[in-house]
Amino acid sequence: MSQTTFTGTQKYIASPELMKTVDVAVALQKPLLIKGEPGTGKTMLAEAVAEALNKPLYIWNIKSTTKAQDGLYTYDTIQRLYDSQFGEEGVDDIAHYIKLGKLGEAFKQEEQVVLLIDEIDKADLEFPNDLLWELDKMEFYIHETKETVKAKVRPIVIITSNAEKELPDAFLRRCIFHYIAFPEPEQMAEIVHAHFENLEDNLLKEAMDTFYWIRSLRDMRKKPSTSELVDWIQALLIGGIDPERIRKELPFLGVLVKKDEDLELIKERQLD
Amino acid sequence: MFTNFFYLLKAKGLDVSTTEWLTFIEALDRGLCHGSFTEFYYLGRMILVKTESDYDKYDIAFKEYFYNLKSEEEVPPEILKWLDKGDKTTDQLQREMYEYKTAKDANEVKRLFKERVNEQDSEHNGGNYWIGTSGGSSYGHSGVNSGGIRVGGQGGLKTAFSVAGERRYRDFREDRVLSMRQFQVAFRRLRQFSTKLDVPKTELDLDGTIDSTCNNGGYLQLEFQKPRKNTVKLLLLFDCGGSMYPFSSMCNSLFQAVHKANHFKDVKTYYFHNCIYSHLYKTAECEYGDWVDLDYVFRHTDKDYKVIIVGDAAMAPEELLDVNGNYRGPNKGMSGLEWCRYFKTKYNKIIWLNPKRHEGLTYLAWMESEEVLSKEFKMYQLSVKGLKEGISYLMSPKK
Repeated sequence: MSQTTFTGTQKYIASPELMKTVDVAVALQKPLLIKGEPGTGKTMLAEAVAEALNKPLYIWNIKSTTKAQDGLYTYDTIQRLYDSQFGEEGVDDIAHYIKLGKLGEAFKQEEQVVLLIDEIDKADLEFPNDLLWELDKMEFYIHETKETVKAKVRPIVIITSNAEKELPDAFLRRCIFHYIAFPEPEQMAEIVHAHFENLEDNLLKEAMDTFYWIRSLRDMRKKPSTSELVDWIQALLIGGIDPERIRKELPFLGVLVKKDEDLELIKERQLD
Repeated sequence: MFTNFFYLLKAKGLDVSTTEWLTFIEALDRGLCHGSFTEFYYLGRMILVKTESDYDKYDIAFKEYFYNLKSEEEVPPEILKWLDKGDKTTDQLQREMYEYKTAKDANEVKRLFKERVNEQDSEHNGGNYWIGTSGGSSYGHSGVNSGGIRVGGQGGLKTAFSVAGERRYRDFREDRVLSMRQFQVAFRRLRQFSTKLDVPKTELDLDGTIDSTCNNGGYLQLEFQKPRKNTVKLLLLFDCGGSMYPFSSMCNSLFQAVHKANHFKDVKTYYFHNCIYSHLYKTAECEYGDWVDLDYVFRHTDKDYKVIIVGDAAMAPEELLDVNGNYRGPNKGMSGLEWCRYFKTKYNKIIWLNPKRHEGLTYLAWMESEEVLSKEFKMYQLSVKGLKEGISYLMSPKK
């Protein structure tokens, strides 16, 4: 068993449960599925893990059009057809036109890498099912070249989801699961401090109070998240805003709240 | 036997598979809980539970299982073995790191305990601070903090917490039968592709390419076309409150499935209470006044919107047939049935999904309305099968 232990990094404050979960996923060699509200640092976790364990990071960003095959390899038939018309060199070698996807690249590495499959729920409903074998066995077969690509060292796989779609059971059963809860004010203060050195206590308190107040409003369409709070504090610092004015005037509110309806709602409630 | 815990989890509604259970055992055998009860708790949770909404069920089962063990002798030997396992020296480090909060100095714990006893005035279970059960506080028992003081406690007390947990379990059963994923899969059929969109040509047009290449004397000439996009627009109307209450979780699944299916061109959702009248409510609470005119909805949608009405069509006959039948708002001179017929004139395709469809039964008063409405609308059972049938009607070319 590899004794790798993840304890967070300077910029990334992980809860003890999360650190523990990362360790177990690494030890059991299972993909780690991370869920949580947007802005709770799901994607940053993979970066932090890679940094803490000093391993290269491969990121596979999933879009609504992404197919499982894209992560393994693509065969550029059109390029080959084009080249053949002009008698380019290497046309007879199919391998020349096989391009490995992110998963393929990660498998090919000599040393252990961290592979992030980001926002898996963006893709088609069947997408996770199409990757079951590849993630279980950490190998796939390239039909065109009759080659099997097999990971020499199993990558540490981290998968994030915003829960836009339900993931299939068969896929879930293979994962280690962790839900990143929205940080409590205490932990939030720690996170903010990790981003700003020498932050005035008064400013932090006012900003955080306002932030949690906005989050507590009932009809908010989109609640502001950690990353928005960090941006907002940045804006407040640059603007040199007096902490006393934060709650009353809500300066740079647009950084925190993105929807018009929400902005109006906050202004309404503020008058109450 | 420790296996009882597995069955207890299942009985609590957690759908733990054998594979997951074996993974858990493997992890324990490999000493991944580092001899700590806290870590034992988290290890089980991360391997056996796959959605945050089930965390509560795990907590309840966990508490029930360990809470009811009256003495150490009753602790299954496997657990003791696992908890004793591991190299203590490296362990100690790990344990300290993962302690719920960093390990507190024993004296400090005692001092705080006294203070806490003085402050505490009621029973507290499940929190992080007070003395109680199952929480992360250092004081109490059955909790997940291993660095504190155990405070008495005999098993067998059934707290409100676990009772509440059991109620949750019943709701859960209902939506397992029709899980959201099944709905989502069904909704995928609701697609109507069109290439008449204002987007760049990014897809290879195979037929066009073959034609052009032939015309080009055999030299490859690629042709591209616009990608096809789903053009289906959806208008959802939910019956809320009253007799629909028992189906709220099912309706919620349906609602979530529609909103998470991002392939529709547009989705509009409104709510009504029992029957459609001159207004549609904007929220599921159906609060008086929080509505829009039916004509407003008509203006903002066109006849091509596919309409899905979800409701049990159960109401007093006069609510449907009397011109003063709407007891929560104005009738504006028309009965519910007339409003429904008026609504029908606008759209080409409407289906009605009914969570408790009674076919051929008309002998009870509240079923009369269902009978009348099922003659007006294409009515299907709200189930995966019914939804599929309904969708194939929505997509069929005939009116």
